[in-house]
Amino acid sequence: MSETTHVTPISLEILRSALTALAEEIGTVLMLSSYSPNIKERRDFSCALFDIQGRLIAQAAHIPVHLGAMPDSVAAALASFDSFAPGDLIALNDPFLGGSHLPDITLISPIFVELAGDERLIGFAANRAHHSDVGGMSPGSMPLASEIYQEGLIIPPIKLWDAGQLNQPLLALLLRNVRTPEERRGDLTAQVAANRTAIRRMQELVERWSLPILEEHVEALIAYAQRITRASIEKIPDGTYSFEDYLDDDGMSAEAVKIAVRVTVYESDLTVDFSGSSPQVRGNINTVAAIARSAAYYAVRCLLPEDAPMNHGTFAPVTVIAPEGTVVNARPPAGVAQGNVETSQRITDTIFGALAQALPELIAAAGQGTMNNLTAGGIDPRSQQPFAYYETMGGGMGAGPECDGMSGVHVHMSNTLNTPVEAFEYAYPMRITRYQLRDDSGGHGLHRGGDGLIREISFEVPTDVTLLSERRRFVPYGLQGGEPGQRGENRLIHDGQESSLPGKIHFRAAPGDRLSIASPGGGGWGKPATLIDKD
Amino acid sequence: MSYVLVGVDTGGTFTDLVLLYAGTFKVHKVLSTPEDPSQAILQGLGELGILQTFDVLVHGSTVATNAVLEHKGVATGLITTAGFRDILEIGRQARPKLYSLQAQKVEPLVPRELRVEVIERLNERGEVLLELDEASLTAALERLQSAAVEAVAISLLFSFTNPAHEQRVAELAQQAGFYTSVSSQILPEFREYERTSTTVLNAYIGPLIARYLERLEQELPSHTTLRIMQSNGGSISSGTARSEAARTLLSGPAAGVVGAVYVAQASGFEQAISFDIGGTSTDVALINGAATETTDGMVGGYPSKLPMIDIHTVGAGGGSIAWFDTGGALRVGPRSAGASPGPAAYGLGGHEATVTDANVVLGRLIPEAFLGGAMTLDLQAAHLAVQLIATRLQTTPEEAALGIIRVVNANMEGAIRVISVERGCDPRSFTLVAFGGAGPLHACELAAALRIPRVLVPTVPGVLSALGTLVADTLKDYVRTVMLTSEQAQEVVTTVLQDLEQQGRQDLQAEGIAAEDVRIERYLDLRYVGQSYELRIPFVQKIEQAVRDFHAAHEQRFGYNDPAERVQVVNVRLKARGLTHKPEPQHQQASTDQRLIPLSQRQVVFAGSTGAVATYETPVYERANLVAETTLAGPAIIVQYDTTTVLPPDWQGYVDQVGNLILERREEQ
Repeated sequence: MSETTHVTPISLEILRSALTALAEEIGTVLMLSSYSPNIKERRDFSCALFDIQGRLIAQAAHIPVHLGAMPDSVAAALASFDSFAPGDLIALNDPFLGGSHLPDITLISPIFVELAGDERLIGFAANRAHHSDVGGMSPGSMPLASEIYQEGLIIPPIKLWDAGQLNQPLLALLLRNVRTPEERRGDLTAQVAANRTAIRRMQELVERWSLPILEEHVEALIAYAQRITRASIEKIPDGTYSFEDYLDDDGMSAEAVKIAVRVTVYESDLTVDFSGSSPQVRGNINTVAAIARSAAYYAVRCLLPEDAPMNHGTFAPVTVIAPEGTVVNARPPAGVAQGNVETSQRITDTIFGALAQALPELIAAAGQGTMNNLTAGGIDPRSQQPFAYYETMGGGMGAGPECDGMSGVHVHMSNTLNTPVEAFEYAYPMRITRYQLRDDSGGHGLHRGGDGLIREISFEVPTDVTLLSERRRFVPYGLQGGEPGQRGENRLIHDGQESSLPGKIHFRAAPGDRLSIASPGGGGWGKPATLIDKD
Repeated sequence: MSYVLVGVDTGGTFTDLVLLYAGTFKVHKVLSTPEDPSQAILQGLGELGILQTFDVLVHGSTVATNAVLEHKGVATGLITTAGFRDILEIGRQARPKLYSLQAQKVEPLVPRELRVEVIERLNERGEVLLELDEASLTAALERLQSAAVEAVAISLLFSFTNPAHEQRVAELAQQAGFYTSVSSQILPEFREYERTSTTVLNAYIGPLIARYLERLEQELPSHTTLRIMQSNGGSISSGTARSEAARTLLSGPAAGVVGAVYVAQASGFEQAISFDIGGTSTDVALINGAATETTDGMVGGYPSKLPMIDIHTVGAGGGSIAWFDTGGALRVGPRSAGASPGPAAYGLGGHEATVTDANVVLGRLIPEAFLGGAMTLDLQAAHLAVQLIATRLQTTPEEAALGIIRVVNANMEGAIRVISVERGCDPRSFTLVAFGGAGPLHACELAAALRIPRVLVPTVPGVLSALGTLVADTLKDYVRTVMLTSEQAQEVVTTVLQDLEQQGRQDLQAEGIAAEDVRIERYLDLRYVGQSYELRIPFVQKIEQAVRDFHAAHEQRFGYNDPAERVQVVNVRLKARGLTHKPEPQHQQASTDQRLIPLSQRQVVFAGSTGAVATYETPVYERANLVAETTLAGPAIIVQYDTTTVLPPDWQGYVDQVGNLILERREEQ
């Protein structure tokens, strides 16, 4: 280390733990005080801090699908405005301008500190939360759609607060375009409060460390994160590893949609190239490039030490190539609502499929590979108010070289909680009539894949239902001789008649109808120890 | 004739006894007997000479905790509503680690084959959608009987709105000879997974606790009373503990906080932070007039929604090991050298540098005065271990040791921030109550970092949990979910509170509490309609007042509120407190001889004003010699049997009227 530096392995560690705690605290504020079940119960949100150049300096680990995606939001804000003032707050959800899919609303606040009487911009606080409804063609804003305009209200980067002044007409416009405006207002307020906490804490940090020393340490922390990632990548044998997997369909046609990947490792650099993936499709399973990157970053993150820091340096050694016009980097006005939740899972499956060739003793088989998204909306007769419900469902996790896969959990890009049955029935005119593990749905093997779940819902009033699910056709793969997990199944019981539903469907349920969702099991790992010879 | 009271805290290594007789405390320690913890207690009582003469024994027990942590509870069955037997295993469907391909969930305490279903269903208003099917109940019980389970947990959906079905199931289960744990009795509160988990915990450890207490009581004279500490910081009779064993899960740590409240209040401080450093972890809790509670507790990965003192734990203690990660940062913990081999300084074969070794190198721990001289620390081994870190840092062992302390202090600082700053409380108005083996070693530097103005070191920092059991009130908690908007709630809340109060007074009477010693505290769990995290607000008479208080509390906790928003009453809570006649703090005689004579002088290393290493000639004092009104100027080291207090150079201290050592940062010039 040079003579002039203030950075030591000790001070580095102290700042690392301070920034990690700070990001966690902002997340706690958002989670506990928000209104949407998606945020409060299901933790579908992320909080992050950025430096003045828009480089990530800390992010709390809340949901992987937001990994490394928010720098795009800050970049969009920086590109959209020439200057910022204390009390500004930028909102956006435009997937093609810094967002991911429309329900994810990102709020960005510039952070100012007072230095020698001047307000000086030192960075940004940002948080992203999945809102239960942002308008569009179906309640819950996770429709089966063919263009983004159907999916909901599009918010390009706008100053919702301008120098401390709320832009009331703009907020009124936003709220007039969604089905549950009170809940939206509450969630946005919680998001604003989280950013305010972030600003206050960063100001305290500057006061404690002084700006030049803090900046020097942030620089060192970014380099530190990069060293940790490089050390992990170096353990992967150099080479190029390819894999392909398929999405069942795009919800508009029966055609399978290909995700192709080539992972190239050279020393401490890793490239993930999606060339050869299907061209973008009509149904809204497309993703923007940010999501393809998040999936790649997530896969790399799983190879890092558990407490590796999360900042600009973490993924600097990773290059992602997502050709424009493909399903992993769609052009507007493609619909992308399902890209986040379904395609991101398949992208992850393909990357791990490739990495399993390089690291057969480390990588686990495919998990359920879907989030089994269910949205439901209608009028609640108890309050005469509209309701919008969105929930995703866990399934089997893939088995690994060391142990069986877990049953009934979210895998890879999501880790949202379920809504308790009793909370659900207080809140919505629906009942849950069954919620259990799905017996024997995990793939057999030396280690067994985790079992999926069965959740059965009965409707008390006419309800608009959208079901977006995957792995109803192509099974989650097993590895090293393990068998695949069972595919998922959706059924509707109407007038005592049971019928099978497609993986992606929109329908109107009648009172008394029951919907049964069985999520996929995880793939098995290794040949079963007691092989029953079927030959 | 004075009562003879004895408080007992069973720890992993020592069983601590504190005897209170005629206003005087006496402290005694014996080695724990993990196979049968009662043996150490009896031995201690014998050594104190009070085995036949004491009146009341209050016990902080780890029997329940250990049974859960080691998965050694009884064979337990679970009866649920048909379609929901896996709720216990699914939990909240989250995986425990976000970025691990090989993570495992904790095994459910009831395996799948012992989770059985009965056909029945209620709705959220307590109306019966499906009558309880007796045939399914008979079949369920037969199945559990053939599996030879000992305890049965019963948790049906919405049972808190109408317990009739659960009561019928319990009736037949008891007839079949099972120990039963019924969710509508243990925790009549919504959210089925957490309620089920709590009910299962109670069943899993109930018979064990019952047997343990029976065994202990058989050994005690028949005129004596045995009371058990609960996780909420109050005690209950051993009879109640048998049926509500889950309430005792974290009784030891809770007792420590109760002890901290007692010593802080004796010195006149209502706002304090309890700070307990052990070998592998540090426990902190916020005291704002009383210890802060939570209902979001976890034991061994299993949620318990019963009220418990909100203790935040981080994996940083005296045995925490210093290491470098792949990015080159110096880390301390969570891996610990434990008791064996222990820190290098223990001379038992440990060679990695720990926090204790750093304290030895800095001169803060005195090798020959450790544990009252019962153990001598190996100075050379500590130096060698810290030298390994120093070499990597290209610096001196002293610099490296200071670095280790700074890093571990930063971890502990984070823990204190979680319970104070994050809850909207400014640590600058609190007193840090330092105890446990290493709390007073780190307290002043930590207080400085958090701008906490004052540190309190009690006279008996090593046995604060045992002391806490002695001063704990009898405490019974009650809850009921009502789920009404505030405008509709007044009447229901009043009725429910009357019910709960009657229940509380009855139960306290059964505990032997005189009517004039009963105090009733009422609370509402409130949230804005649509939220799902509730804030607990004291309730006096009027919902409107509670709602106003809620808006203010929401602002303090989350930084915003919305008085125009509708508020929902989720749960009604009541605490029935039977006051314990706490011993008056003993006022000490001030010393007539104001000259304080150090035991010795030694070289102790501190960070100077620029952060650089500075060595100070530092006097060492014996705590027993520090009587009321003694004043001290830093730097100083104060030794006593089971702890060492460090007073840094820019600090000063005094002993107050009740013998507590109060340390304060010197005013800046």
